[in-house]
Amino acid sequence: MEKPAIQYIRPKFCLVYIMVFLPSTTPATSAVDAGLKRSRVDYSRHLSSEARARLPNPIKSIWKAAQVKAGTINMGNGDPHHTLYPICEMNFVVPSIDGHDPVQSWRSGTGEQNIIASYKDDPCALSLRTAFAYGAGAGLKEVRDALANLNDRIHSPPNHTVSLSLGNADALTKCFRLLGDPGDSFLCEEFTFSAMTNAALPLGIQWVPIRMDNNGLVPSDLERILSNWDEATQGKRPHVLYTIPCSQNPTGSTLSLERRQQIYRIAHDWDIIILEDDPYFFLQYDLDVNQSTIQQYGYTRAMAEVLPRSFLSMDYDGRVMRLDSFSKIVAPGMRLGWVTSNSFFAEKLDMLTDSSSQHPHGMGQAFVAELLGSDGWGVDGFMKWISSLCNEYQRRRDLFMDIFRQKVAVSGFATAEVPQSGMFVWIKINLEHHARFSTSQTPTVPGGPTTNTADLMDELFRKLLNSGLVMMPASTFAVVDRAGTMGSHINDRVNFFRATFVGTDETIRDGLTIFGRTLEEFSCC
Amino acid sequence: MEEPQIDSNGIDNRDIQVDLSHHLSGEARDRIANPLKDILRVISECPVTDLISMANGDPHHSLYPFRQIMYEVPSVQDASDPVTSWRNNSGLAQIIRSYKDQECALSIRDAFPYSRAAGLKQCRDVLTDFTKLIFAPPNHYVTLTLGNSDGITKVFRLFGEKGDHFLTDEFSFPSMTNSPLAYGVKWVGVKMDSGGIIPEELERVLVKWDEVKSGRRPHVLYIIPVGQNPTGSTLSVDRRKKIYAIAQRWDLIIIEDDPYYFLQYDIPQTNCAPADPDEFIKNFRSTLIPTFLSMDVDGRVLRIDTFSKVLAPGMRLGWITSNKLFHLKLADYTDSSTQPPHAFGQMFVTEMLSENGWKVEGFCRWLKSLCSDYQSRRDFLLDVFRREVESTGYAGVNCPEAGMFVWIEVFFEKHPRFVCEQYSGGSPVVARTNTEHLLKELFERLMNTQGVVFIPSSTFAIPENPLWVESDGHVPLSDRTRFLRATFGGTEDIIEKGMIRLGKGLREFFQD
Repeated sequence: MEKPAIQYIRPKFCLVYIMVFLPSTTPATSAVDAGLKRSRVDYSRHLSSEARARLPNPIKSIWKAAQVKAGTINMGNGDPHHTLYPICEMNFVVPSIDGHDPVQSWRSGTGEQNIIASYKDDPCALSLRTAFAYGAGAGLKEVRDALANLNDRIHSPPNHTVSLSLGNADALTKCFRLLGDPGDSFLCEEFTFSAMTNAALPLGIQWVPIRMDNNGLVPSDLERILSNWDEATQGKRPHVLYTIPCSQNPTGSTLSLERRQQIYRIAHDWDIIILEDDPYFFLQYDLDVNQSTIQQYGYTRAMAEVLPRSFLSMDYDGRVMRLDSFSKIVAPGMRLGWVTSNSFFAEKLDMLTDSSSQHPHGMGQAFVAELLGSDGWGVDGFMKWISSLCNEYQRRRDLFMDIFRQKVAVSGFATAEVPQSGMFVWIKINLEHHARFSTSQTPTVPGGPTTNTADLMDELFRKLLNSGLVMMPASTFAVVDRAGTMGSHINDRVNFFRATFVGTDETIRDGLTIFGRTLEEFSCC
Repeated sequence: MEEPQIDSNGIDNRDIQVDLSHHLSGEARDRIANPLKDILRVISECPVTDLISMANGDPHHSLYPFRQIMYEVPSVQDASDPVTSWRNNSGLAQIIRSYKDQECALSIRDAFPYSRAAGLKQCRDVLTDFTKLIFAPPNHYVTLTLGNSDGITKVFRLFGEKGDHFLTDEFSFPSMTNSPLAYGVKWVGVKMDSGGIIPEELERVLVKWDEVKSGRRPHVLYIIPVGQNPTGSTLSVDRRKKIYAIAQRWDLIIIEDDPYYFLQYDIPQTNCAPADPDEFIKNFRSTLIPTFLSMDVDGRVLRIDTFSKVLAPGMRLGWITSNKLFHLKLADYTDSSTQPPHAFGQMFVTEMLSENGWKVEGFCRWLKSLCSDYQSRRDFLLDVFRREVESTGYAGVNCPEAGMFVWIEVFFEKHPRFVCEQYSGGSPVVARTNTEHLLKELFERLMNTQGVVFIPSSTFAIPENPLWVESDGHVPLSDRTRFLRATFGGTEDIIEKGMIRLGKGLREFFQD
């Protein structure tokens, strides 16, 4: 049902925010959000000076004006005519999702296959004539509509717009440019995906780490940083939080609903934009999917019931930019994803896309449109595939944890929490048992490390490498607290490895065997 | 893994190339290599050969839901004119296939994992070979892009920072030139004539440049040398040589944006097309104008190529050819932004240029045939133009040698409301005629009453600044902004209707 458009009028300056609700299948309101008063956010205050200065593409503007009239002849643009595209049909051989467990049948080669087809001259969900032409930054309507529909059925977001991206790395680095000026401080988890946080550094953005525990970022520490912030000495108070709420990379932790609500409330109080980078959202384990819901309403509804509540789903202020990707659930080389945000940010993001990478490729857009369309899997079939994918990854996780218990944990030198989602296990090395562990180092700088944790971990990393095993050391992901207000230096807390369980059974078995053996050798001397 | 490198002379002239690192922007210099990839370097130095990696979160290939991808394309082997046979459905089709588990040039297994910025080796190799065969550059490396917009805007970020000035044609492509304005790069337009940018004018700007008043002298030149957008002009070999020499003298980086390179017309045809593939390629190459890249002994050219105009815009795939330093910096930047191009395009291009596809020779056949198709569209437009527009006496046009555009000059001085004042001192860049006003009026009139859209030249004009304009005898750019850009990329029906509407619109406009 189409909800009525709501207008917000800012009393003094008469800025009008027109918000159009996406059609929702279920109302998003629930008691937990009722305490939050919807604020009128001045989104423009969050834009970088670059984003403010950016001009719209003048040629696209002209054509927008010209399209008003039907029958207008366009001699303006240098678009090759579609009869000259040398591709008239694309076929993708994909699994059939008719079986009970499509991922298993596909892997074992026992299942049926389907053909997803796109045509230039025959009817289909997204014609190659459209897919292969120049388009606008947001991506093609057919694909955006399909993804907005998926969003709506999973998150029921209050009021948002979908823009396509080239995957989350592209989307995230664009968001950094959109929101960050030189000298800005952004908030992030103290261990985070450094490939992305590093990308913001040459833009002059500094990172402020937030303490984490086994369950992810600690809301009270976020509040502590913001309320203690001194703009005179530390510069502008952070206005952006970058977080990976599900299977946080690298720690594998997933934020509980309670924490999400606390974090959203803090963001609301301090006017923070939340960058919700959620590539592992659909890979959740130990889900109690209701079989009768599947039978009655299909997979989408059944999955939506048990998947975590996203920040997007509670975003009444429009302060969340949610980043979704096909990389983990289809394949990384898809280089296709989507950003869900308020319409103001969506427009600014599209302008940046028009001035840089341009819209995503026609091949991926055509594939997604057909896959989610009526001749493909459809949204429900796609959710069935995801549900089956979850089973497969859960099996790998369980295998990993079993072998970890047998080969590693027995020694007491390492422990690990069972991750609820994603691809990673965060293995804690109990260095306090090591003969050469020292807690009385003299820090070289005030607030510097007081243990030799980093040195021992480096030694262990190299020892593992020489034994034939690679795991990612925590130091790779550590964000140093420049303000020095955390109480202890992060290098005293880097006694972790990130290990993935997405490899083959053999990799898991052999890898953990080497790990257990090498760890024992290491810990004894 | 060895970087594929182009060195057509067979000698390693890496040392001959000039150190150009001082051109990099602060952002490019400050960029840190991806730490996860640093770890990969440590790993690559490890003596153990059968390493087990539990490092990365790459989905296993058995979970990719693709077994085979097929593209139906025209066959280019038998037909002498594959584009025409394709368009009228009389030719044979061919299927280009990628497999997950069967042998092919770039398998689904190899194409769909996470990868490094410069693109997959298989795809870079085929494009390196192609670049080598066609452009024969001295010593250069290939970086994949998502098409020229992506390539150009990345290159702008590589060199531009707040306060910089870049040089370009006085009429240039605003979708690109607008992009660095947002971060404080300004443009200096260089005077053009029907042959494109005028080398002497370029040198004059550099000589006249006052670093005290205007800041750092421009160090980047952005040009579209073939079928220039919007004027349709193509730089002669003589001009290219002069411009390259100026770039050497003044230490300029040249951004050679060349999407229309393969759409060159009026090429003298040899009597018979050689049957031998190598001969065919050689023959094809010899008909094309030498690029800036081909003369780039210093490594100061970044050549930007794309499949948008010769396959389809939605491919979103292209490549940059540059010196090694810039190649590495572009790769780092790609790692920190878009990531490498999508697997679909890389697989398609690799198969298309390989054994089971068209191969380079077949691709050249397609390009050659495409040229003649566009040439006939151009000729058709010019014919109708002569009949419907030139006959009015209100507009004229030069015949473009390449690309997709004609630059229609409108003779506003014939308009009853045309106003022209004598120059009597003051700023040399202030308009003395109402040309721009009349142009706007004409554009709107054509759109609203005739239902035809051309892009007015004001959209492309780079604003002038008296600081770098010679006051003597200078005609302000606004008074020369008297053109409409028209494309002949459309169908004959569109071209014909468009020209008829233009002729009619001009008559009404000039007689009001």
